Amino acid sequence: MVIFVSLMIWLWKSTPVVSQPTVKIQIEPPLEQVIPDATLVKFQLQALDASGGIYNDALIGVHISAPRKTPWFTSDFPIVEGTELLALEAYAPKGKLEFEQVLPIRGNYELAVTVTPEVTGSYAPFEQSLKINVPENPVKYRNFAVLAVILLTIGAFSGWILGGDQTIAATEIAPQPVRMLLSGVTLLAIAALLLVNFSAEMAEATSHSHPETGEVISSSPRIEKNETMQLEILGDTKAVVGKLATQTVKITNPSTGEPITDVQINLQSVANESNGLMFAYQAMPDLNGQFTWKEQFFDGAPHIITANVMQLQVSHEIEVEGIAPPLSVRLISLLYFTLIFVVGLSAGFWGKRNTQPIL
Amino acid sequence: MVNASNIWQRSQGWVLSLPFQVFLLISLCMLILWTLYFSTYPPVHDTLHETRHHTLTVACH
Repeated sequence: MVIFVSLMIWLWKSTPVVSQPTVKIQIEPPLEQVIPDATLVKFQLQALDASGGIYNDALIGVHISAPRKTPWFTSDFPIVEGTELLALEAYAPKGKLEFEQVLPIRGNYELAVTVTPEVTGSYAPFEQSLKINVPENPVKYRNFAVLAVILLTIGAFSGWILGGDQTIAATEIAPQPVRMLLSGVTLLAIAALLLVNFSAEMAEATSHSHPETGEVISSSPRIEKNETMQLEILGDTKAVVGKLATQTVKITNPSTGEPITDVQINLQSVANESNGLMFAYQAMPDLNGQFTWKEQFFDGAPHIITANVMQLQVSHEIEVEGIAPPLSVRLISLLYFTLIFVVGLSAGFWGKRNTQPIL
Repeated sequence: MVNASNIWQRSQGWVLSLPFQVFLLISLCMLILWTLYFSTYPPVHDTLHETRHHTLTVACH
């Protein structure tokens, strides 16, 4: 028996395994600790050859796609669902790419990674698709549970009253005309709320409003220079949620205009509304002294892009247009909430009816 | 011939009927929920922005 098991292990170990170049991904903090729209996630991508060795002088490209659309169980950013969040290609001297990005929603993100040699032909380029699963923010479950309990309680209380004896006693303090008046007022309230919400939907089609709390205005210039280098930030200053916006930084010698390629540029994207860091990367400029990346500003509020090299700092503000969630998605969620209320209402109604003495 | 008091009595019977009162209650509840969680009306949206983002199945922007 021992000989048989040993033989099987030997056979299993000696089976030739066809190795392929791969991209190893490391995420900090661990995925189970990531809170959507809050945690700045550090991605480390390491390209490894077939024998597990590192690639020197690689160009690593990464495209992050947000989880697919889930209209029946929407996230808080439905417009972002199924869209591209980030696209960048960077020089990776040791086959390693590191960047930080906030992930907006729960679900399965797809990272399409391409690895190409900086010197064409030194090895075969390859691509790999990686998937990561981000859990939902636990606060959302708690708040939903609180709301469900409130709706069930109010529903059950209302049902209990409606299920009671509706005959009017001789000493009734609210005569029928008063109850008619109250019903009329309820109708008026419904009409007023309908009007407010309907006009808001109409206004949303033409303009957009978003809270501007904690607004920070970009204080750095778009171009700054000293004796040895000139740093410039270029690219889109207007963006729309759901679409990528292109950003470029350029570094040159101010006297000769020659590109500078041997410095590291610290890039940051900060959301004004929360003053939170959304994206961070230490970029190496290409042969033209430039680095370009595409980023989605998923929170429909202004952002500031900052680039700095040593004492030089440039920035520009991105005006972001938010898009209201589709009406259908909101109506589906309203239906869920209403159903919870109706369940409470029915329970209260039949509970009262079943406890009433049969006359 | 239908006189005014007859119309009043009929509408009273209809408005104060249980199905209509249930309809009123559910409609009002739906509209309050819509206004709080789903409306794009700026003052409400801006005030409850955080709550909306922190409640399951509520979409915001």
